[in-house]
Amino acid sequence: MADERHAPAAGDAPARRRGQGELEAQVLAVLQCAPGPATAGWVQERLEGDLAYTTVMTILSRLHAKNAVSRTRSGRSYRWQAASDAAGLAALRMRRMLDGEADRNAVLASFVSALLPHDEELLRALLDSASADPAAADRES
Amino acid sequence: MGFFVFLPLILPLTAVPIARLTGQHLHPRGAARLMTVISAVMAVCSVLCLGLIGVVGTAQIPGNPLPDSWSDPEVRAALPYHETVGTAAMWLLALVLVACLRTAVRHVRVRSRARRALNGLPKVSGPGGDLAVLPDHSPYAYALPGSPGRVVVSTGMLDGLAEDEREALLAHERAHLVHRHHRYLLTTQLAANVNPFLRPLQEAVAFSAERWADEESAQAVGDRRITARAVARAALVSRAVPAPGFAAFAAPAPAPGPVPRRVAALLGPVPSSRNWPPAKTPAGLAALVAAVGTAASALCALNAAVALLVVLKAVTPL
Repeated sequence: MADERHAPAAGDAPARRRGQGELEAQVLAVLQCAPGPATAGWVQERLEGDLAYTTVMTILSRLHAKNAVSRTRSGRSYRWQAASDAAGLAALRMRRMLDGEADRNAVLASFVSALLPHDEELLRALLDSASADPAAADRES
Repeated sequence: MGFFVFLPLILPLTAVPIARLTGQHLHPRGAARLMTVISAVMAVCSVLCLGLIGVVGTAQIPGNPLPDSWSDPEVRAALPYHETVGTAAMWLLALVLVACLRTAVRHVRVRSRARRALNGLPKVSGPGGDLAVLPDHSPYAYALPGSPGRVVVSTGMLDGLAEDEREALLAHERAHLVHRHHRYLLTTQLAANVNPFLRPLQEAVAFSAERWADEESAQAVGDRRITARAVARAALVSRAVPAPGFAAFAAPAPAPGPVPRRVAALLGPVPSSRNWPPAKTPAGLAALVAAVGTAASALCALNAAVALLVVLKAVTPL
């Protein structure tokens, strides 16, 4: 657990991803408790563990990229607020589950499975022949 | 019982041809059902035989459920028993149990986590209410079984598809839910845990379930090409290339993966609706071999169980 918190530098990729997912959820939880838009420092104070300010900033920007939080400029820094829409939070929770469960595809039927190395060109050729009708050809171009 | 008690452990090999030839002359619906039944029966027989071998083989170890009169020389002559084999069977049985439990727990966990993730998402009533569109750049689409089942699609996936292709994708996922494909997947996964020889069947069933949903989707949108495009484009958008494992190196002549095969099948003719392949084709022969293997497996297991019961009855003073 402690390793994962400080993971950005060390650790293998899956462990780091899971760690990040947990951190994002923690940051989001803190933001949701906030009475209003909060600064990154405010968030950092209320997080468990001694996270660096830059780490909190990184997580906040990542959450922002995922539309889970919104930010407003205030002076030279940002004030952050949890996005109010439920879909964003659901997406984040789903993301955490998908990242955390290596075998999710064995349980949930995924629309497409992983491609083998040579599948991509094969698929492009098939797609070309599938799009041979005029309507699709228009959209392709 | 004798040697026959070991047969169900290797008879699943008779199902390998049908797993390989799946999709030929057979509607994916029929293929999925047939292979699921075969693997379920063979798995049950394998467990039964492992149990019998174990019980008989460990007869002299304290705690064995067999009665004391078991050590009667006549009984020993009637049933083959070997302590090493019996102990090995018991260990295997324990391993099988652990593996099956892990699979079951994983299923429950993934499904409940996915369900919890969707908690708080407003549910729309009416058609399309089962759809949950999640704002996420990474493309994914899942059918989440349950009552009611839900279709989870990320905006990343939807953005990569044209309007008609989105419809095909939704129809595909709904087909998974309507026909309860997760049960086929779980059954064959448990079976493959029981007997590794059933793994080809598991993969074939997983593929058939996808093909089945593809066919349903093609029927729903009315054009096989649309579904073909949807599958191909979704795969290219996701471009989930597996970590270079040995699958990449083991195949010198690259065989197409499941996704291109699905697209190619959709671009080909409509599969015949029959549920059993015609007799005089390789697929028909393979189905026959698998059916005979399953029947033999069931017979052997039954025979061994009955033999044990008869002997037990004979030696137990009642």
